[in-house]
Amino acid sequence: MSCVTIEFEGRSIAARRGESVAAALTAAGVRGLRTTQSGAERGIFCGMGVCQDCLVEIDGRPHRACMTIVDQPMNIRRESHRRPPAPVAAGLAPRTLDAVAVERPEVLVIGAGPGGLAAAIAARRAGAAVLVLDERAHAGGQYFKQLADPASGRPDRQQARGRRLIDQAVALGVELRPGVEVWGGFAPMTIAASWRSGLLQLQPRALVIATGAYERGVPIPGWTLPGVMTTGAAQTLWRCYRRTPGRRVLIAGNGPLNLHVACELLKGGATIAAVAESAAAPGAGDVGTLAAMACAAPLLFAQGLAYRARLLAAGVSVSHGSVVRGIAAASDGLTVQIGDPRQGATWEHRVDAVCLGYGFEPANELARALGCAHDHDPARGTLVTRRDEQGRTSVAGISAVGDCTRLGGALAAMADGTIVGAAAAATLGHRRDAALARDIAAARRELARQRRFQAALWRLYRAPRLTLELAEPSTILCRCEEVTKAELDAALAEGPAPIGEIKRRTRAGMGACQGRYCGPLLKAAIAAAGGDVAESFAPRPPVKPLTIADLARSPSP
Amino acid sequence: VSEAAHPAVPAIGTLVIGGGIVGLTLAGFLAAEGVEVAMIDDGRVGGTTANAGSLHVQMQSRFMRLYPDLVPGLESTLHLYPKAVAFWRAFEQELGADFDLRITGGLMVGESREQLDFLAMKCRRERELGLESEMLDRARLDAIAPGFGPAILGAELCADEGKLNPLLANQAIRRWATTNGVVRLAGESVAGLARRDRVLVARTARGTIAAERVVLAAGAGSRALAADLGAVVPAEPEPLHMNITEATAPLLHHLVQHAERPITLKQLGTGQVVIGGGWPAHLAGDERWPTVELASIVGNATLAQHIVPSLGGLRIIRCWAGINTTVDGRAVLGPCRAAPGLNIAIPGDAGYTLGPLCARLVADAMLGRRPAVDLAPYSPDRFN
Repeated sequence: MSCVTIEFEGRSIAARRGESVAAALTAAGVRGLRTTQSGAERGIFCGMGVCQDCLVEIDGRPHRACMTIVDQPMNIRRESHRRPPAPVAAGLAPRTLDAVAVERPEVLVIGAGPGGLAAAIAARRAGAAVLVLDERAHAGGQYFKQLADPASGRPDRQQARGRRLIDQAVALGVELRPGVEVWGGFAPMTIAASWRSGLLQLQPRALVIATGAYERGVPIPGWTLPGVMTTGAAQTLWRCYRRTPGRRVLIAGNGPLNLHVACELLKGGATIAAVAESAAAPGAGDVGTLAAMACAAPLLFAQGLAYRARLLAAGVSVSHGSVVRGIAAASDGLTVQIGDPRQGATWEHRVDAVCLGYGFEPANELARALGCAHDHDPARGTLVTRRDEQGRTSVAGISAVGDCTRLGGALAAMADGTIVGAAAAATLGHRRDAALARDIAAARRELARQRRFQAALWRLYRAPRLTLELAEPSTILCRCEEVTKAELDAALAEGPAPIGEIKRRTRAGMGACQGRYCGPLLKAAIAAAGGDVAESFAPRPPVKPLTIADLARSPSP
Repeated sequence: VSEAAHPAVPAIGTLVIGGGIVGLTLAGFLAAEGVEVAMIDDGRVGGTTANAGSLHVQMQSRFMRLYPDLVPGLESTLHLYPKAVAFWRAFEQELGADFDLRITGGLMVGESREQLDFLAMKCRRERELGLESEMLDRARLDAIAPGFGPAILGAELCADEGKLNPLLANQAIRRWATTNGVVRLAGESVAGLARRDRVLVARTARGTIAAERVVLAAGAGSRALAADLGAVVPAEPEPLHMNITEATAPLLHHLVQHAERPITLKQLGTGQVVIGGGWPAHLAGDERWPTVELASIVGNATLAQHIVPSLGGLRIIRCWAGINTTVDGRAVLGPCRAAPGLNIAIPGDAGYTLGPLCARLVADAMLGRRPAVDLAPYSPDRFN
């Protein structure tokens, strides 16, 4: 492992080459990374490039600490609100879109997670030329997160499986292009992306959207404090970079990912203060459900039991039916109150980091921007991409796969990917051979099994879906624009209105994350006030912030 | 569409159709005088108050190039613009609100001899028509507005131009209108208008609304509704592209435009820079969603950093489309003889700048007062 010295506001920090800036700063105890309009500090939250809260200034430009890899000495500062723009070298000539080269891959897959990789492999096996874009520096997505430095440890089974999938794609001749930030989809079939400080314009013959999911935001008093992050962000620190979010960690949320990450952080040397699970403890009535899970996916089931056993052995209490009621900054970290979601006594813990994992939102921004039809899922409050059984959306030539269409987990996405990728190639006239046909049939069986498992899993983990229940009037709902619950309530009290007008009344959703966290909260609040439950924010480009100079340049070689 | 009476507003004295800046202020002015008024707005396509917040005074070169045949109409309307900006200022004071309104002056820059000659000619003409304009060479430009790129040779400065934050203004005006007693039907649209006996009837999804008077303040959407009553209002939608950046340090004081290329640049009090100026968007699908185009993002934003290079280091966080309405270069204001009970309130180009003033003029005419500006040149009767 080689080291690089980075400077953070005058302090020298020994970073590992290849880790994220976020990982290096976290290991050095730096938690506050950007200051907001109100002067508040923010740190890593989503850990996957969505929330824009971990912005730092590197050599004069804004960068997401979680997505920026340490590959050379860097001069890093906190990103301050309303910082002057970085000086630009030479003036760049204005240009029109006609002057921008168009890349025309036969099949374009966006997202190199389990669904995208499986789709790419299937389409390639059918004979199509396939290009896969991914925003991260390494393929694998959130489930198969790979070790940034292979020398830093032995990959576990999940990482090894991801490695095999990536290797298979490469061996088949799939072109994997990491570090590409797709920021726009334009009907009928144009994708715009930033890559190597330039503009990439792509018009594939067939498009497979495999953009996955991101963690839901549940506004809890104190959830914007540095040190409070999603469970997935903490997992990335450990799985990719072998760093822990702190010495003492509390994990709260709903679902097995929280237990998994608790075990991983234990392995990394952290102390887990508690795991607060909002679902009730499994009881005698859940035997049938457990049996169904064991039957549908014995390996996953066994894994779940192993997590429980490991936590028990480490003396970590899993507190069922409880949530984080509030988080406050303390002299040496954070104090966290755990308790029943509605009332009663709370227990206080003193920790360095809090991980929140209350489920996921599908990342359907691109599919929506391209005009693919979506339906409202009242149970989860999310949009579901309308697809046929081959994964084709309502727009000709565009398929979607995995969690970005509807939540179902990584293994379901992988099975789905095989079906969808092969179908996308078939629409371009490619034939499947007997082996691929067998694998598609197997993928259909696997998908059905995974869906049975997921259905049983969420029966076991059933809990009220938290939206605004834990927020106090002063709790921030829109992290970017710092809009509080009291401000949203006041806007709703002025009378019913479409969600776009509530956005304009409050500014909620007008920030750099494009309303990904507050949008679902506004929907819930509007529904509670008797408004239109199905309406979401209109999709607006860019789905990720876009540096103007990048539009004027071609990607550097 | 339901044929039953609307459950909330079965009948009303005056129905204002359209809840953009024109409809909102007009309903508020009428209600302030005790008129029973309801305002209906779809809230999605038209009247989305998706404004950019420029306060235009000088003739927009974009408009002059695109519609040269409309320049005489434009010139005859020019005197309304400084009045409209003064009206905005007074309106902000009257409401005791903060619109983030600043009359900073507006610069129209040129980067060739020909462009500067065009600006000088335009400047002379505007001065003849009573505007406060002057030409600046590069040295004088730099003295008041540093930061322009090396290609810019000079500019026309129009002192009366400026900008406001439409989010602040629209919210304050909406609250004022509600306080005045305007009944707002938000998220509902009018499918058609008909005459029944002595009243006009608006058909909506929730039922019919009978009104003694109807005001069409629905921009280009007014055309089809006027036609339902046999009146001609040749308003056309012009969906336009806008970009907004992250907040940055003070960078641009003035409203900035270009002599030949479509662009407006301005920085709001939030520190965000709004980049727009007439790049096309379109209305997509059956729902006619205002939808942005990649070509406009690229063309508009790269032009912006060409004019002010430091913009190149900023990030765009959102693009959207708003809808301008064009008619014949002139506003369409007042009662429509062809359809008794029907009034029109369409400012024509630069609808946000002209909106509150136009609304005041139409409201005064409807209240039986003499409007501060003679409405004869703007009468809908010129098409009927």
